[in-house]
Amino acid sequence: MTDRHDRRVEFRGVRHHFTVGGAAVPALDRIDLTIEPGEFVTLAGPSGCGKTTLLRLLAGFMTASEGTVAVGGDAVRGPGEERGVVFQQPTLYPWLSVRRNVELGPKLRGVSAHDRAETASRYLEMVGLADFEKHRPYELSGGMQQRCQIARVLANEPDIVLMDEPFGALDALTRERLQSELLEIWRATGRTILFITHSVDEAVFLGSRVLVMSPRPGRIVLDRPAVFSDGGVRVPADEIRALPEYVALCDEVRGAIHAPTAVA
Amino acid sequence: MTQTVAAPAPEVAPSTPAAGPQDHRRERRRHRLKLLALHASTLLLLLSAWWFVTAMEWVSPLYLPPPGDVWDAFVRANTDHPVAAGSDRIVRGEQGYYLWEHLIASLQRIAIGVGAAIVVGIPLGLVMGTTWLGVVLEPYLNFLRSLPPLAYIGLLIVWFGIGDTSKVWLLFLAAFPPIAMATISGVHGVRQDQVNAVRSLGASRRQVLTAVVLPASTPDILTGIRVATGFAWTTVVAAEIANGIPGIGGLAYLAGNQLQTALVIACIVVIGIAAILLDLGLKSLEKVLVPWRGKA
Ligand SMILES: Nc1ncnc2c1ncn2[C@@H]1O[C@H](COP(=O)(O)OP(=O)(O)O)[C@@H](O)[C@H]1O
Ligand SMILES: [Mg+2]
Repeated sequence: MTDRHDRRVEFRGVRHHFTVGGAAVPALDRIDLTIEPGEFVTLAGPSGCGKTTLLRLLAGFMTASEGTVAVGGDAVRGPGEERGVVFQQPTLYPWLSVRRNVELGPKLRGVSAHDRAETASRYLEMVGLADFEKHRPYELSGGMQQRCQIARVLANEPDIVLMDEPFGALDALTRERLQSELLEIWRATGRTILFITHSVDEAVFLGSRVLVMSPRPGRIVLDRPAVFSDGGVRVPADEIRALPEYVALCDEVRGAIHAPTAVA
Repeated sequence: MTQTVAAPAPEVAPSTPAAGPQDHRRERRRHRLKLLALHASTLLLLLSAWWFVTAMEWVSPLYLPPPGDVWDAFVRANTDHPVAAGSDRIVRGEQGYYLWEHLIASLQRIAIGVGAAIVVGIPLGLVMGTTWLGVVLEPYLNFLRSLPPLAYIGLLIVWFGIGDTSKVWLLFLAAFPPIAMATISGVHGVRQDQVNAVRSLGASRRQVLTAVVLPASTPDILTGIRVATGFAWTTVVAAEIANGIPGIGGLAYLAGNQLQTALVIACIVVIGIAAILLDLGLKSLEKVLVPWRGKA
């Protein structure tokens, strides 16, 4: 197994098109992208520009029409436990309780019942579902299902976490709480995170690096570091949002999203 | 006996508006009582019509005996009774077995045939639904499924003899295509992202099958088992035409040959009720095993 710190993500000359009714529909144009281990990369872009496609290529759910996607130097051949995926639509198993959904990853890897129960409890607590652990997923609201899905992925402790608009369906309060929890986890564990969002503020606030994609076929048209506190010093969220650099980057990202011909 | 029942829906005392969920339950119970009353009055009407037609002697009892005769035949078939009126020889039920023993014999054949079909059909369906074997074997499965079982009972008798073995084989062959087909369609219906999700959690190929594909297919599989059981019922009755004692189908056939029309009708009623109860049982099993059906 490769060491965590070797898990660099590389897209090299990646193009992808879907075949719809015999015709090729381009979704990704030319993606050259390197994500260093431990980066928190947020990806924004207009809807339909190919964000999900990029994530699914990295997840290993499909193969690029052209180019290579590699993790830790090895070409991606399929899904793997080191790349956890939070889907845009909650993908839970209705035959399992909320707790058993969260325990599933550790269970498949043969973690002892005691240890996985402990892990599950921790993450259920984190996403605020401790009181609902015995429920079935379909007995939860959409936002709760999404939180359960996040807990399930984090409980499996993947090196790379791929999240496709995970907070899109949540209310503002829950979203803010989970945002700071996610930042907490990222700081504590040094995981690599690729986080897709359609919210400019979320992209700039969460990411240590912000990417913007052009409308379909998607290309990366903006790539900026987005760190607003020097290492270790925790700046409160509203103070960060008041920083002139923060506001300026938000404007730049917004501009890039709305101007299809923007240059990186 | 011709008067209809004016189903007296029990009036519920007006409840306090605060009792929300209780109101709801009461509402449901009232609805159920209404339905029950409706069914009861329909049945009573039918029985009355039957009784009336026979009492007026519009048809010969050989064709349609009165309800009372059918009841008598039913009771006779379940008790020890003289072989003929006034005779000292006491016989057991009909053909040496009580009616319920005939029924149990048929149910046993179904249980073994359908049980074997489940044991073989589900794994086969899983393999066919997930590998190239599906493409290879599907035509044969379709072929088998489209054959009326009676077409090959003769062959099975030649192979396995006139006893129970050929009957159980027949039931197995009748029951297993619907179960295998249902499993295949269940497998094909699994959402791709449900498979992707578990693979991203690190599941091996085998774990994908046991942790996701199989449970996700259970609703379809259970439907398949219900269809197969219904099919097996109709088949068992036919299978018992040859050497089918004990067996409710065999008894019905024999009674018909001996012009014991009342006994035939008693058998038919028992067969029908048993089939409905069996299906109700499977349906409630479905509620227990796949509570998420239609919700996720
Ligand atoms: N399975 C598919 N088949 C055909 N076209 C697809 C498929 N998935 C995505 N597309 C198309 O590819 C483009 C990019 O889609 P997607 O990556 O989902 O965009 P985003 O996530 O940025 O909204 C869209 O135009 C979409 O219609
Ligand atoms: Mg998307």
